[in-house]
Amino acid sequence: MTGERPLALVLFEMILLVLLGPLVTGVIQKLKALLQCRQGAGILQPYHDIIKLFRKGTVQADTTSGFFQLVPVLVLAATVAAGALVPVVRAGPPAFPLGDALMLLGLLALARFLTAVGALDAGGAFGGMGASREMTIAPLVEPVLMMVVFSTAVAAGTTELGTLAAHRGASWILAWRGADFLGFAAMLVLLPAETGRIPVDNPDTHLELTMLHEGMLLEHSGPGLACMMLASHTRQIVTLGLVSALFFPVGLADVAGVVGLLLGAGGFAAKILVLATCLALVESSYAKLRFFRVPQYLGIGFVCALMALALRIL
Amino acid sequence: MSSETVQTIIDDLGALLLFTMILIIAARQISHAIHSVAAQSLLIAIAGAVLATATGNTDLWVIAGVTLSIKAIVLPWVLHWVVRQLNVRREVEPVIPFSATLALAVAVVVMSFHLSASLGSVRQAITGNALPVGISITLLGVLVMATRKTALTQMVGLFASENGIFFTAMAVTKGMPLIIEIGVILDVILAALVMTILVLRVRSTVDADIADLDRLRG
Repeated sequence: MTGERPLALVLFEMILLVLLGPLVTGVIQKLKALLQCRQGAGILQPYHDIIKLFRKGTVQADTTSGFFQLVPVLVLAATVAAGALVPVVRAGPPAFPLGDALMLLGLLALARFLTAVGALDAGGAFGGMGASREMTIAPLVEPVLMMVVFSTAVAAGTTELGTLAAHRGASWILAWRGADFLGFAAMLVLLPAETGRIPVDNPDTHLELTMLHEGMLLEHSGPGLACMMLASHTRQIVTLGLVSALFFPVGLADVAGVVGLLLGAGGFAAKILVLATCLALVESSYAKLRFFRVPQYLGIGFVCALMALALRIL
Repeated sequence: MSSETVQTIIDDLGALLLFTMILIIAARQISHAIHSVAAQSLLIAIAGAVLATATGNTDLWVIAGVTLSIKAIVLPWVLHWVVRQLNVRREVEPVIPFSATLALAVAVVVMSFHLSASLGSVRQAITGNALPVGISITLLGVLVMATRKTALTQMVGLFASENGIFFTAMAVTKGMPLIIEIGVILDVILAALVMTILVLRVRSTVDADIADLDRLRG
């Protein structure tokens, strides 16, 4: 369906993303465990973790200000709001004023900023280090993401993700132009950085030398930590959703009603599963890059994105 | 195949060629660069085959076959063999930092698009992005040669540069005379052989890098 998306559908998609976010992490962790010949935790483990944390009490450092307690809620809110902008089961513009891809990137950047502020607020050494590293990586990732979005937006004439996805149409790989290949390559380079995975960040470790994102969560506990973890799961699935909206068709063009929605959701699940498998494979076959090598790695993405733009515009 | 479809495929292949070129520039290990240049030659062979089916030019089939066998299989194999002989794995020694090379690469690509846009009537005659893409791959190959210290990486740069020339010639003229193409390929093989022997001999006699050979001593 490529008609307008009503408010109920947008809300449904948003809730779907939040609910499925931990599952994606669980699947990636299970795949990684299998690739390492371990049995690994079940794919529902992230849900159990979050539920457990919500039941726990909160312990805070004495140095934290009142703002610290608000940080997890704000981060989660910004990330979930970003989720509302991604078309999941159906392409097409929303029936009411809603943000576009730039808004989505802005909300993700806001969540990142708030996380860093929270980490600095607690005054811990690891939090500060994590925040500093994250803020070094962020300005390298975000402009490139924007350029990838622009390189597809130039062809569609809009930055609204639903319309972009509708423009992509059903015959996707045949309709891919040269710029799409380069844009997708840039996106694949950026994906580990944006989802906090190897080779840029290691999500499994709490070793102070290697962590970026985890370092910033150290001072949070209980429900606050649960919010932060849910936010990072959601951020991951939103990023994957952004990739699938930009480069793969969303929904099916000729099936209406509930069946169409279910088929669209199934298609979305398949796309996310493929991308998650890619992430798990990359994470299992590469070592984490030294921090000062990361800019060079992201530079490949930058050059690819710039060439995609050059092919479109020049 | 209609001419529009061919144009689209050539454009897509051009984008993938640019991507392999980025990989060559960003490669930290010599073997990665060799794999990338092999992939690039494979893409050129595919481009040749596509143009051959489109134009019905049998010469292009021969060229595609020769490109596939010589440049995508034999030359990378020779390079890998030399790497094994020299027993080096990380011998991509840049003169300037990788990030600076990448920035220069961006400048080169933008410049070649700008240049070919200013060609005016010549540009009008050639549809698609084959010309700017070919020019930028040629120049980027030269960039790789200029910014690496070791001979092997410079050889990879030379092959990439030659690939760029080949792609431009093929896409722009829809098939040059067979004799010219064969001549170009023979040139490359000869250059590869001479450079291989030179690298091995220099390494075995004086154990020096190309960077050490920048001064003449009487």
